[in-house]
Amino acid sequence: MIKLEGITKTFPSKNGNVTAVNNVNLHVKKGEIHGVIGYSGAGKSTLIRLVNLLEKPTSGSVSIKGTELTSLTPEKLRQTRQKMGMIFQHFNLMKTATVYDNIATPLKLLGYDKHEVKKRVEKYLKIVDLFEKQKSYPSELSGGQKQRVAIARALSQEPEILLSDEATSALDPETTNSILDLLLKINEELGITILLITHEMNVIQKICDYVYVLENGEIIEESSSIELFTNPRKQTTKKFLDTISQRKLSASLISQLKLNGTVTRLTFIGENTGQPLLAQVSQKFGVEPNILTANIMELKNGIVGNLVIHLVGEAEQINASLQFLNNQGVTTVEVEGE
Amino acid sequence: MEAFIQDWLPIIGQSVIETFQMVIISLFFAILIGVPLGILIVLTRPGQAMANKVVYQLLNLFINIVRSIPFIILLFFILPFTKFLVGTTIGVQGVIVPLVIYTAPYIARLLETSLLEVDSGVIEAYKAMGIKTRQIIWNVMLREARPSIILGLTIATVSLIGATAMAGLVGAGGLGDLAYRFGHLRYEVDVMYATVFILIVLVQGIQSLGNRLAARLKKD
Repeated sequence: MIKLEGITKTFPSKNGNVTAVNNVNLHVKKGEIHGVIGYSGAGKSTLIRLVNLLEKPTSGSVSIKGTELTSLTPEKLRQTRQKMGMIFQHFNLMKTATVYDNIATPLKLLGYDKHEVKKRVEKYLKIVDLFEKQKSYPSELSGGQKQRVAIARALSQEPEILLSDEATSALDPETTNSILDLLLKINEELGITILLITHEMNVIQKICDYVYVLENGEIIEESSSIELFTNPRKQTTKKFLDTISQRKLSASLISQLKLNGTVTRLTFIGENTGQPLLAQVSQKFGVEPNILTANIMELKNGIVGNLVIHLVGEAEQINASLQFLNNQGVTTVEVEGE
Repeated sequence: MEAFIQDWLPIIGQSVIETFQMVIISLFFAILIGVPLGILIVLTRPGQAMANKVVYQLLNLFINIVRSIPFIILLFFILPFTKFLVGTTIGVQGVIVPLVIYTAPYIARLLETSLLEVDSGVIEAYKAMGIKTRQIIWNVMLREARPSIILGLTIATVSLIGATAMAGLVGAGGLGDLAYRFGHLRYEVDVMYATVFILIVLVQGIQSLGNRLAARLKKD
């Protein structure tokens, strides 16, 4: 559906060229939700603007449903953009227009007749649950409501793709969740493919099928979100995971605990979460597992559990325990006292 | 008081009409020229839809040059041009041309400022929806800038009224001319007071009207 190949974008600046996005490859399949996560300045905003050519790539190819965008005429590019909705961190609604007009204006400008405009505005206002607010002005709405209007505006053109530029970054956690639920709903019910950028790990956790970690304009790690949550490889990825779960223990505590055992992180997926594996380990190998931190995260495509345990016992028994856990499908990683 | 009104009402009334004529006609043409000029200077700015350094710099230079010339100098400076355009250099007709040339670049500048205030995110959103630049200008930029444009036009109108005071120099009449000829030259202080009073009411009225209209269009 969306395919970026070898996309690079450099901006001229006083001290030579700055590379905002460097040789990025990305492929979003139809009906999936893919997320790009990165810190401010990683190049996320530039990256998502390259998808609908709001930014022209310096090199590389952007193709949407097999159509190469970089070689399109301005007219054809406009037509392609009509099939790609976009939502923004700051909503980007017209302040002087009512909710109704904010959705109706683009439709009118795109040449839909009055009847069709009304039909669509009402339909999508109902989908975002704001039908009764159509006469309000944006200044009378909360942040979450404004984002719903923006989503309705994007949907009203019945796009196949939705690009989301930090759509929840300006919202409080509760509102963020309701907007994420809405995005999931339109993905599932309308079959819209979504590419989003964010700096919030919970956005990835809740709605993404696949994740790219962007740093200094490059994708440093990519995988399905379950894989990313169970087996993060890069330091930046781990830092992002730390933001949503209490993964980190102090170095001094870990060193102290290691005097009489080992500190291990156990990660398990799906049904394993319910099994009393630690009790079994204790019985079978005579080690004493002590749970230091524990959490269970619900991802879009499954459940991931995370335990950090202190195993007290003989080194041999500990190794046997870990082996046993591995055999049960649990990932074990020794926690370093960094 | 009654005698004063009887004596002066026709003359003052005539002057009010002349002032209104000059202001309305000049404003109309100044908007006609100034608005497209303002839009053009915004669009040719670096980074905008029709970015063109040469055109942008030329427009800037042109606007700055015209705006540097005090109206009283402009009035005489362009006499040949006025003559060529409307066939005369005197009377209301003769003063319209310099008034328009004086006000249009001012309106262009004010419009430029108003348009640049429009949230670039909204414009980006419309671009992302595949909407034509021309439509974005009319339906998004000008619409969102309306409150600010109204206030700008109010300022331009008030400054235009000020400029019409000098119209007397080419025999176009108006309130300013009345105050000058009768009030100053003939020292009929009452007339000067009356005229100044009317001008104050006029300016006050226009400003309040502008403020109110802008407030009504502003929704934040």
